[in-house]
Amino acid sequence: MKKIKLFLIGILLSASFATFAQQTVKGVVKEKSSGTPLPGVSIVVKGTTIGTQTDFDGNFSIEKINTGAVLIFQYLGFAEKEVTITSNFNLSVMLDQSTEQLNEIVVVGYGSVRKEDLTGTTDLLTSKNFNKGPIVSAQSLISGRIAGVNVIAGSGAPGEGQTISIRGTGSLSLTNQPLYVIDGIPLDNGGVGGSRNPLNFINPNDIETFVVLKDASSTAIYGSRAANGVILINTKKGKNKEFKYNFSSQTTFYSIRDKVDVLSADQFTSLVNTIGSPSQIALLGASNTNWQDEIYTSAIGKDNNFSALGSLYGMPMRASFGYSEHDGILKGDNLQRTTGSINISPTLLDDHLKIDLNVKGMYTENTFADRGAIGGAISFDPTQAVKDSNSQYGGYFAWLDAGTGNQNNLAPTNPLALLDLIDDTAEVRRFVGNAKFDYKIHGLEDLTATVNLGYDTSNSHGRRVTSALIPTSDATFNGSKTSFIQNSDNKVFDAYLTYNKTFNQAHNLTATAGHAYQSFEYDNYNYDSEAKEDGNTYEFIDKSKNVLLSYFGRANYDYNGKYYLTATVRADASSKLNPNDRWGIFPSFAAAWSIHKESFMQDSFFNELKLRVGYGEVGNINGLGDYQFLTRYQGSTDTANYQFGNAFYQTFRPEPINKDLRWEVGKTFNIGVDFSLLDRRISGYINAYVKQTNDLIASAIVDPFTNFGNRINANIGNMENRGIEFNINASPIKTENFEWSLNYNVSLNDNKITALSTDQPQGGISTGVGNNVQVHREGETANSFFVFQQVYDVSGAPIEGVFVDRNSDNIINEEDKYINEDPFADILMGLNTNVSYKNWDLSVQSRASFGNYMYNDVAANKGIQVNATNNNILSNLHADYYTSGFTVISDKTALSDHFVQDASFFKIDNISLGYTFNSANNQTFKLYGSMQNVLIITDYDGLDPEINLGIDNNFYPRPRSFVLGININF
Amino acid sequence: MKQKIKYLIVIMLFSLGVISCHEDLYQSPIDPDSFTEEDVFSNATEAQGALAKLYASLALTGQQGPAGQADIADIDEGFSQYSRMLFNLNELTTDHAVVGWGDAGLPDLHGLYWSGSNDFTEAMYYRLAQEVSFCNSFIDNAAILTDTEVASYIAEARFLRAFTYFNLMDLYGNVPLVTSVTTELPSQATRTELFNFIESELLEIQDLLKPSGANEYGRVDKVAAWALLSKLYLNAEVLIGTPKYAEAVTFSNNVMSSGYTINNIDANGNGSAYDELFLADNDRNGAQSEFIFALNFDGMRSQTYGGSTFLVHASIGGSMNATDFGVNGGWGGLRTTKNLVNKFNVDVTALNNNLGILSKWGLVGDATANSWNGPDMEMHETGSNTFALYADLTSGEMKFRFDEDWGNNYGDDNTDGSLEAGGSNIPVSAPGTYYITLNLNNATYTITPFVGDSRGMFHKDGQTLEIEEIPSFENGYAVAKFKNIDSNGNQGSDAAGDFVDTDIPLIRLAEIYLNYAEATLRGGGGDLGLAVTKINELRERAYGNSNGNISSGDLTLEFVLDERSRELYWEGQRRTDLIRYNYFTSETYLWPFKGDSKNGVGVDAFRNLFPLPNNIITTNPNLIQNPGY
Repeated sequence: MKKIKLFLIGILLSASFATFAQQTVKGVVKEKSSGTPLPGVSIVVKGTTIGTQTDFDGNFSIEKINTGAVLIFQYLGFAEKEVTITSNFNLSVMLDQSTEQLNEIVVVGYGSVRKEDLTGTTDLLTSKNFNKGPIVSAQSLISGRIAGVNVIAGSGAPGEGQTISIRGTGSLSLTNQPLYVIDGIPLDNGGVGGSRNPLNFINPNDIETFVVLKDASSTAIYGSRAANGVILINTKKGKNKEFKYNFSSQTTFYSIRDKVDVLSADQFTSLVNTIGSPSQIALLGASNTNWQDEIYTSAIGKDNNFSALGSLYGMPMRASFGYSEHDGILKGDNLQRTTGSINISPTLLDDHLKIDLNVKGMYTENTFADRGAIGGAISFDPTQAVKDSNSQYGGYFAWLDAGTGNQNNLAPTNPLALLDLIDDTAEVRRFVGNAKFDYKIHGLEDLTATVNLGYDTSNSHGRRVTSALIPTSDATFNGSKTSFIQNSDNKVFDAYLTYNKTFNQAHNLTATAGHAYQSFEYDNYNYDSEAKEDGNTYEFIDKSKNVLLSYFGRANYDYNGKYYLTATVRADASSKLNPNDRWGIFPSFAAAWSIHKESFMQDSFFNELKLRVGYGEVGNINGLGDYQFLTRYQGSTDTANYQFGNAFYQTFRPEPINKDLRWEVGKTFNIGVDFSLLDRRISGYINAYVKQTNDLIASAIVDPFTNFGNRINANIGNMENRGIEFNINASPIKTENFEWSLNYNVSLNDNKITALSTDQPQGGISTGVGNNVQVHREGETANSFFVFQQVYDVSGAPIEGVFVDRNSDNIINEEDKYINEDPFADILMGLNTNVSYKNWDLSVQSRASFGNYMYNDVAANKGIQVNATNNNILSNLHADYYTSGFTVISDKTALSDHFVQDASFFKIDNISLGYTFNSANNQTFKLYGSMQNVLIITDYDGLDPEINLGIDNNFYPRPRSFVLGININF
Repeated sequence: MKQKIKYLIVIMLFSLGVISCHEDLYQSPIDPDSFTEEDVFSNATEAQGALAKLYASLALTGQQGPAGQADIADIDEGFSQYSRMLFNLNELTTDHAVVGWGDAGLPDLHGLYWSGSNDFTEAMYYRLAQEVSFCNSFIDNAAILTDTEVASYIAEARFLRAFTYFNLMDLYGNVPLVTSVTTELPSQATRTELFNFIESELLEIQDLLKPSGANEYGRVDKVAAWALLSKLYLNAEVLIGTPKYAEAVTFSNNVMSSGYTINNIDANGNGSAYDELFLADNDRNGAQSEFIFALNFDGMRSQTYGGSTFLVHASIGGSMNATDFGVNGGWGGLRTTKNLVNKFNVDVTALNNNLGILSKWGLVGDATANSWNGPDMEMHETGSNTFALYADLTSGEMKFRFDEDWGNNYGDDNTDGSLEAGGSNIPVSAPGTYYITLNLNNATYTITPFVGDSRGMFHKDGQTLEIEEIPSFENGYAVAKFKNIDSNGNQGSDAAGDFVDTDIPLIRLAEIYLNYAEATLRGGGGDLGLAVTKINELRERAYGNSNGNISSGDLTLEFVLDERSRELYWEGQRRTDLIRYNYFTSETYLWPFKGDSKNGVGVDAFRNLFPLPNNIITTNPNLIQNPGY
């Protein structure tokens, strides 16, 4: 794609060819290190618009060149090179791969610009810089790589979804996830049923670039869905040359890194003997079972990918096929994924019509191990054996109710029974395809018309089959099967015109205007076979549709590549909002100044110094339900009907309504400096921003006297994020054989809710029902911990049930809770390094996070003495019991600040080492090994200090893994 | 020119696409369970579904059952059920109940130290205010339908709205009075305005509701309006400062002569017709004759984690056998205090005095008061060589002996009821009051548990009467009042034993009897003799005989309050009753852990009202929080 752009520019340039009498210069352009000929290199005669491109074999020729003329060679990802023509008219030019990619074309939404010409805050990460290691999810490729972008894996399950937040939390009720745009198709931000990760349909190996648009001046072109930033993912494209093939294969060995600290069987026995009644002591078993060892296992993952890239009948194309299979460390967890993609990008009609066809297909089979086993293994009595030959439940030990003879209905189910006797599987099929037509209008060559048609459809089938043998209090339980089908369709139609012209050789203008339409439709269908046998029709059908309609325009202007101005505007209308408030207009402005091009900077050591300033507005209703402004009645299901006489009637409930919903609007001001110096050995940027979200849509308290519920989504608040980002890349050593590069990034973000009329409880915990440990409150950071202040004795041990009476009314109740820290990091850092020596290369990725706090829900819920012997069953305790000594469950103890802990950390995520064998014919063979989740340094007592939103509750541990892989190019 | 045409074509194509897209912005729900106003109020049959929601929103919690599509946000859906919250606010806050769970805000209720943002006081307000909105919407919309049946629907909706306002006024005092659908922030109404509204509505609809007994089960008739008026007037002195006991007498009288009858069918043949009121088939076993307004539950078709499912499961713990209650297990939460238990204490001395003169035959053993050493528990002579005694025994063993001398003693060698001189000890398996007879004519004896007032349905085995700490289930007697078994001993309709069929009466005839007696005693001008007769009707059902009958001299206000406890405990009335006697917050009447103190202490009188939700105060500046919060 980039190459085509350059190719087109080349064609354009040659159009105004001027004639002088001179010599024809010929030559070949090759890559410096390997000597591979480079096709598609752009060659321009300096100071003119004369130019050409190299052919497939790297050859070029330009006629009529004067002696003394200077040829400029440009190629993506390579340092620009100038060659002065003297007496040699047959050149052999070597281009050096540059660490700087100034001339890279960056896709910015409905168009692209040279990186050098960017005015907004945009990060580009190419495949070369992606994270190494066992990457199953696309998001993992960029974790820790970009300042201000925080990627947190949902859990350690294979292919698990990842939460990406860009510049903090932007919304309270709506989604905080960025908009993903894959090859120009904005994805629906709802999840896909039965899938662990909405990006699972992309094979990470197919991704060429990640472009992260962070500030509103960059994102405003995406209007209402760009409030939390935009991530543009572009897949690899075909190239107009001989077919090349890549095969890669890697095997991953997963093992558990750490387990939750619970009492051993001996410790537990001695505790029960001390505190238990005779009948409770009699419940003790004689075994010594480490339940966590029982449920976790070492696991293996395999990835195989094949891709072909080249030209077929003159059409550049790329095809890929990938197959991955990963087991989880929780017994029975498994992901199998097959992906395929084809890209064809022909150019027709004298290069006036460019067509880009992308088809991606995915088929995954998921087997979900029951995650109830994780919490079960922490608390299950370690003195009981997994199996009990007398058990009526397939031999699995179970706590029985003395009265009913069935499992005690308050007892946890044997974790191994959960893993072995429940079969939860789902298949997901997804197809994403688009066809993009760029037509440069004949006779109006400055004008390009683009039409992009896209279709994203997924279909999931899942079922959960529970064996009749599972321990349950239900005496009639005869096994069950629940299943679901989910379909979702997302249709895209974009059409826009782009006008590109240079006036007086100095004034460059690119203007784009267009229209976009997108519709999202889904239907879910759930079915309960056991209920069916009982004579009920447990079928839930859930259907919904919404439409987004937009107009947008953008103008980029620059004067001599020195002064840049960008203005965009987007008008969005969503069917989710009432007709009067449905249109939102989102403008943005940005300016940039390439200071290094000024004459006074001629002698400075800066290769680049650019100042950027931008302001923009974006809207948000992502995650808002459909139809909320309409009067609707919800019918009841068969289990919620009401009896009059002898008949049961379906009931109709008027739904909460808000006729006045309007767009949530985010306004960002951003100022930044890009720099590079010392022959581009050091480069980086620094940004400062203020992002205000106004008319925040949040679930707001309403007086039910005035509505049909006590909460509705309403525009009720404001929020602010302020931050600084700094990124630096350095190449301290760069010789022919030895190269060392470093990337360091750091970001500071401060979030504050600036207006919110009523508190919103957040962060449900596992103790009791309805206990929340966090709150959204005006003047505080979102999701702040809201807890009681524990009183400690002189030895520093917490005194049970004693809390500070903060409002001095001699009563300890909700009004004594206070704000104590929040789960979001104040400072995030990434430090990555690559070292290559001859054919060896080594990379290390590490991250640090400071000021993020965690509520240790496992300790709060399972570290309480009474739980050991409650309800005629024995349950193991979390080792925090030895610290707190807490004996009794209460809503206040669970909300003690004792359980809110500093979870700052330093992690080494990955260390990779590879060796590349070069052979003749440009074939390469690389062998590598890597280790993931190498080291965690933290004061936090729980399993992992990095859990999204700061509540550590039965977290699926992230495994440590070792990878061995090969990568062959031929 | 050619280029221009192409250009034009491009523009036209663009415009075509754009126009077709614009119409697509008008989306309406495509979900098969989503309906519009036109669907729901198209005819009387459809409107019945909307009426059903007005009843259901007091019984269930959402549109999915047992959970899902909740009506109320900010609280666990199961907690948000009306009668469960009524239990929490009106029973758990009193001597009738304690709960061991650590759910947010729950321990605060029995301890009487809740705050203005207590989850349960908030959610109850939301539930009730929402019910008012549902009723208002129904009344507004159904008016377009002209069927006579719909006229009755509307009258029922107005009853439900009045009932809801009665709850709001009782629990929160001054709340907004909203009588039609509006989004305007309402202003606060005084209790007097609310009282007048409820009164005038009920007086007006008494003739619009169906005649007594003419409506189908589960829907109210005009007797419900009278019964609610009876409650309203009985509490008028508290609510508006003006006594209206004469009116309370009048409307109680209307109810008592309406055709509703106290259930006297002992369908399960256990000797009392009281427990039938709380069995799985109480919609058809006879109990329904007493239910003026009840919430209907069904283990399969009307599922909730509140309602009777809550009352049955939450009461079971310790050594209780869930199978006996028709469910698959207990939740180990609810128990009661000794105050309630002691209200059922049998006056053994009085009973014994009626038996005859004291003899020298007595009971000895570790099951008796003074163990094996005596002095023995002397029996009363009921006839020639026949003796009897009502005795409080513990579990253990006993023998009969004469004059505290082992020289003449009887035991039972084969536990066959026939006595042998110097025979084996007679086992007493469980503590309790027993009626023991000794017949020396044929050397036989009987030892039978003495039932007395069958309404005191407590589970004592493994439980302590005293409460040392509330979280442990073993502290305090458990309550076995609500069951999911029917009169034939079969489990309710949910074979899995999760959800309960038992309906919950919100107003039943027995309460009106007690209203009548109390209003009469408070000077309402009723017939004291009639009051005694009616109360004895309840007590005869409770005792299975006339042993427990009272005379007019026994009928005091204190007696009526205690009788309300015995008859109506755990039915959501206690707090309101205690407030009428000024016992709820004062030092005058204490119970374990009242005011969060083991032996009980008085608390500030402002706690006679619950706080309006702090969130609502913030949202609506027209509202003023109740004093003290």
